[in-house]
Parts: sequence; structure tokens; C-alpha cells
Amino acid sequence: MFFTYLRRELRRRRKAALVVASGLALGIALVIVVNSVSSGMNRAQDKVLESLYGLGTDMTVTKAATPPGAGDTSRRPRFEFDAKDSDDDSEQSSDLVMVEGFETLAFSTVAQVGKQDGVADAVGGLSVRVMKVNGQFKQGEIEPGQKPGQGGPGGGTDGGGAVRGGGAAFDVDSYTVYGTDVAHQGLGPLTSSKITSGRTFKTTETSAKVAVVDSAYAKEKSLTVGKTLTISGAKYTVVGVATADSGDAAANVYLPLAQAQTLAGAKDKVTTVYVQATDSQRIDGVKQAIQRNISGTTVTTSADLADTVSGSLSTASDLAAGVGKWLSYVVLAAAFLVAGLLTSAAVSRRVREFGTLKALGWRSGRVTRQVAGEALVNGLVGGVLGIGIGLAGAWVITAFSPTLTAQLGGSGGGAGGGRVLGAGGGEGGPARQAASRALDIALTAPVSLTTIGLAVALAVAGGLVAGGFGGWRASRLRPADALRRVE
Amino acid sequence: MYQLSGVTKRYRRGKDTVQALDGVDLTIEDGGRLVIQGPTGGGKSTLLQMLGGLDRPTEGSVVLDGTDLATLPEARLTRVRAEEIGFVFQSFNLIPTLTAQENVETALVPLGLKAAERRERAADALASVGLGERHGHLPGELSGGQQQRVAIARALVKRPAVLLADEPTGNLDESMRDEIMELLEGLWQEHTLTFVMVTHDSALARRAPRLAVIRKGRVTITERAAGAA
Repeated sequence: MFFTYLRRELRRRRKAALVVASGLALGIALVIVVNSVSSGMNRAQDKVLESLYGLGTDMTVTKAATPPGAGDTSRRPRFEFDAKDSDDDSEQSSDLVMVEGFETLAFSTVAQVGKQDGVADAVGGLSVRVMKVNGQFKQGEIEPGQKPGQGGPGGGTDGGGAVRGGGAAFDVDSYTVYGTDVAHQGLGPLTSSKITSGRTFKTTETSAKVAVVDSAYAKEKSLTVGKTLTISGAKYTVVGVATADSGDAAANVYLPLAQAQTLAGAKDKVTTVYVQATDSQRIDGVKQAIQRNISGTTVTTSADLADTVSGSLSTASDLAAGVGKWLSYVVLAAAFLVAGLLTSAAVSRRVREFGTLKALGWRSGRVTRQVAGEALVNGLVGGVLGIGIGLAGAWVITAFSPTLTAQLGGSGGGAGGGRVLGAGGGEGGPARQAASRALDIALTAPVSLTTIGLAVALAVAGGLVAGGFGGWRASRLRPADALRRVE
Repeated sequence: MYQLSGVTKRYRRGKDTVQALDGVDLTIEDGGRLVIQGPTGGGKSTLLQMLGGLDRPTEGSVVLDGTDLATLPEARLTRVRAEEIGFVFQSFNLIPTLTAQENVETALVPLGLKAAERRERAADALASVGLGERHGHLPGELSGGQQQRVAIARALVKRPAVLLADEPTGNLDESMRDEIMELLEGLWQEHTLTFVMVTHDSALARRAPRLAVIRKGRVTITERAAGAA
């Protein structure tokens, strides 16, 4: 009788049921979309962070920044070219290999960090920037008969006439090299790339003259497996080509750590220690322990780095977490309220019906269950509709995949400056701060089973709230009052 | 048997207090038949609700077979309604979404009978009021007289001791009125029910062996000799 009565009542009041279900559906769909978009944002941010850190890294340790002293020129790149004879028009070339950010830690720091409580693994790496300047000077030409002071640009004067023309034409090529600890390849930037050609380093290649190059850089420089790459006069055989999982690669070229140290003149030095914690819940504690026990270091966690992400990804993420979340809560609360009031109003319209049932000997509990049952089914119908609409919304977002831009670093402030390599050969001078870097990430809206579970729970809750309103009213009806009201 | 002693019912209506019943004393024997008549607002329906355990008196007692309905806990009062008392209302009060058969079955739900037994008893009850063929019809598909027959079947399907009818023919035309009254009287005799009916209709009132006229909450009983109707 319960189900027969329920089914007939819902069919009879289809429109009212549909209004209640639609309200709940809207709220539930919004929750699903906002949740899935938030999840997509998190995934996008994780991708961004992975591209910096590599997989599995919970934090990095770098040397704490120190302000440059007065007259300290060691932090600026310096190129020196010899003067040539006037008839020598050969090109001059100079490779400058610098430690990225100029700050290094002793290699022994890696072991020190590894011994800290809560650290599962620690691997050192050296970020290096190579700047290659290539070009030639042109001699000025003396033009007899010109008065002094009328020399052309770059020219000079002598007693016999003016010097015209002359100057210099140089190309600057800048790219990044990352020295990776080939014996511990589980952590570090290279883990965020996949080897798409050739192979990665062998653990025995600690001092081998081999290189893995990023696919974009390889394409630009026509490098393939087996070819030779020359860095500052040293030749390296390309053994593999790596493609970044998302966005830009962390470096253009990957070398064994010892080779990078030799190139940069930074023997037994690393720029960054990549740390994996034993427990993701203990990251803050591990960070504090490292900073306390190893002086002069800056520890940057994923959360710190996430705070430095700006651009449309950050804006959208803030919107999803702020406005979107509250909007969905408000709509859901309104839907619950409307469902409750409509159910309550439906009870008011059915007082004679419920009064009659009570006169026939139906207990209040049975009448309440009947009302609550109808509301619950309404809620579940709303839930199914809401899940359908929500899934469709999430699918549309994923199908269109709007591109969000994540601006990383740049300020070098706040989070202690996660030291990010600007792959792609920017020409700006190296700075102590983290290099500014933009990544385009396609937004997806993955719907997890947890989200579906949440939607079902909300549907049931919506039904129960509505049923609670209606049931409460129905239970308070006295049969005589109910029957008297229609007389 | 009903024994009502000093039954008084007062309602609050806004700032005013309305006295619907004023110290009613009344006895109704088992198998007896009583018609209650009186002007609108005189307290007829209120008295019927006291008899049916739908409402409680402000003062006094309503004793049915030794049980005072005025003080009975709500759950037991509900049980008494479910098992002992059948109601027939002026507006039929059928559930519009349920078929005739299902409407009759609603009276058996509180008794906890199995579905098959409910169906069988409901079908028998509908047959007894001449609607065996219309069991699958919704109330909206039935005439007023047929709807009231379904309501009568619903009242009697639980095999009650008491049948209370509040203006059962009030919404019916004359021919239908007589038809329903003949049916009710026949069932009263067949099932030896205690039958109490409220009506405005003097013609119907004259058919009853015992008439209670209620004015301003006070009851006057008129007994008629057997066969006088």
C-alpha cells in the first residue's frame, strides 16, 4: 500500500513534484559542477607543480637568499672577447655556464636533509644556465679628409681622417641545463617528463658525457638520439629525448650531476634538494625540522609554491573555491527550503486526506512516513536529474577545455622562491629570484565517485529535509481538526 | 455500548470561546441506532467526533464498552478507531489517487493484514455494496452514490462494532439518498452494528427509532415506538 499510494500521489502531483525535484536538481548539479571544476583546478595546479618539481616531490630545499654586497659583480654574467686584427673577420664565440641564481648548497646538504625525521628520500640537483654569445666585431674604416669629430657611430678619429662604420653583431643563445643525480632518478624535474625517444640515464652514468634533451629544444636544435651536443666546448652524446607531461619542461638539457657541476665550476654543489616526505600530513613538520636543523636553507613546499601561482588559473581557482562554492551552497539551501515549503504546502492541501486516514486508524508515524517517502522520492528524482545535469555540465567543460594560464614565480618573494628554471632560452639575465614562467593548462572537470556520492547524499538530505517539513506538519494534524477544516 | 456523562466541549476561536457541547449525557446500546439532528453549528458533528474518538471532550467521559475514550492514550485511541469504529463522511473522503479497491484497503492497513487478505476482504466489501465490478475505478470515475458506497465499504470492511455517519446523504440527490439509506439500514441489521448518524434531513430522521436533537450543545432524546418509522 505504501508504494502504491506513493506512486499514485507522485503521478497525480507531477508538476509540484517536478518543481521540487528541479529545484533540488539545480542545487545538486551546481555542487557537482563546482566540485568537478575545483577538482580540475587542483589537477591543473598539480600539473603545474609537477612540471616544476617532478612527481613525488613534497618540498625543495635551496640556499637562503643573501643580498648582494656593494660592488659585487660576480652575480652578473661577463663576456670577454679579444681584440682582433683589422683583417680578421672570423666569428668570436663565448659560452658562459652559470649556476642558476648563483646560490648553491654543498652536496653534503643532500645527506643532511635525508637524515631529517620524516624525510623518505632526498635528491640533489644542479640548475645551470648556459649563455652562448656568438658573433663578430667589425672594424671601422678611415675616410681621409673628414674633420675630426665627424666619425660615424662606433668609429673614432685620428689625425689623418675620420673612422666610419664598425661595431659588433652578436647572437645570444640561452638555455638551461639540469644536472640530475642519475643514481636517484625517482625525484626531481626529469620525473615530470616522459622519455619519448631513446632512453634515460643509466645509474652507472654518473660521470658519462651523455645528455637527455627536452623534445621542444631537440626540435629547435635538430637534435636526435645519437647526435652530439656541445656545451662550452664539451661534447655530449644525446641518449634520449624527453617530453614534458604538461606545459614547458623544467630544463632544455639534462646531464649527469657531475657533468653539470664540472661545466658550471660548481664541484660538489647543488642548487636544489628535492625532498619526499614519509607522510603527506607531516610536510609542515618536516619543513620546520629542515629549516631548524640546516641553517641557511629555504624550504619550499608544494603549498608554498601553489601560493605563487597567479594568472587565470589562480583567478578561476579562487572563483571556484569562493564564489562557486558559496553559490552552490546558497542554491542548495534555497532548494532545500523550497522543497520543504512546497512539501509542507502540499500537506496543507491534503489535510482532509490525512485526517481521513487518521480517522481510519492510521498512526501519525505511518502518515508521516508516507509524506516523507514521497518527499524522499522527489529528492532522489532531483538527485538523478541533478547528477545528469551536473555530469553534462562537467562534460561540456571538459569538452571545451578552456585554457587557463598559470603564471609561476616572477616575484621571487613570498614562498621563498621555488627555484624554477625558465626553459626555452629566455634572454633575460639570470636573477636570484625564481624565473617567471607561464604555463597554459587545459581545464577539465573530472567527476569523482566521491562527488557522485555527495550528490546522492544531498538528494537524500534534500528529500529528508522536505519530508521532515511535511511530515512534521502531517504528524501534528488532529483528525477532528483536519476534518473540521473542510466542513 | 456508549455511555456519555457530562460531555462538554469548548473551542477557542480567536478571542472567543465557543461551547459546542454542554454537559451531554447519553447512552447508546450495542446494536442501537441513533439519529442526531439539529441546526447548523449546534454541535452535531462535534458529538459524533467525541463518539468516534476523533476529538476529546473538555470535560466529561465518553465510555465505549468500558473504555473511556476521553482519557485513552493517543496510540490506544488510534487502535480503537482502527478496530472498532467505521466512519462515513458527507464528502465521501476517498483518496482520489487510489482505486475503489485500494480505498477500501486503506481501512485494513492499520490492522496489519497481509496484502492478499486485504485484497480479498476489500473485494468482498465492495461486492456487498454492489460495486464488485467497479473495484478498479478511481473515485473521479464514479458517481456520488457509487463513491459513498465505496466509503461505506471502507467503513465496514474492518468489521467494526460501531458505524458513525456524518450526513452520509448530504451530497446526494433524493433517489440516491434513499438507495444509500436502504443500504446502510440493511448493513446495520446484517452486521448488528451500533449505528449513529448525523443528518439535517427530517425524512431520514423520522426513520430512526431514536432521535437526538442537539441545540446549543444540549441534547434532547426522543424515543419512537418500534415500527413507528
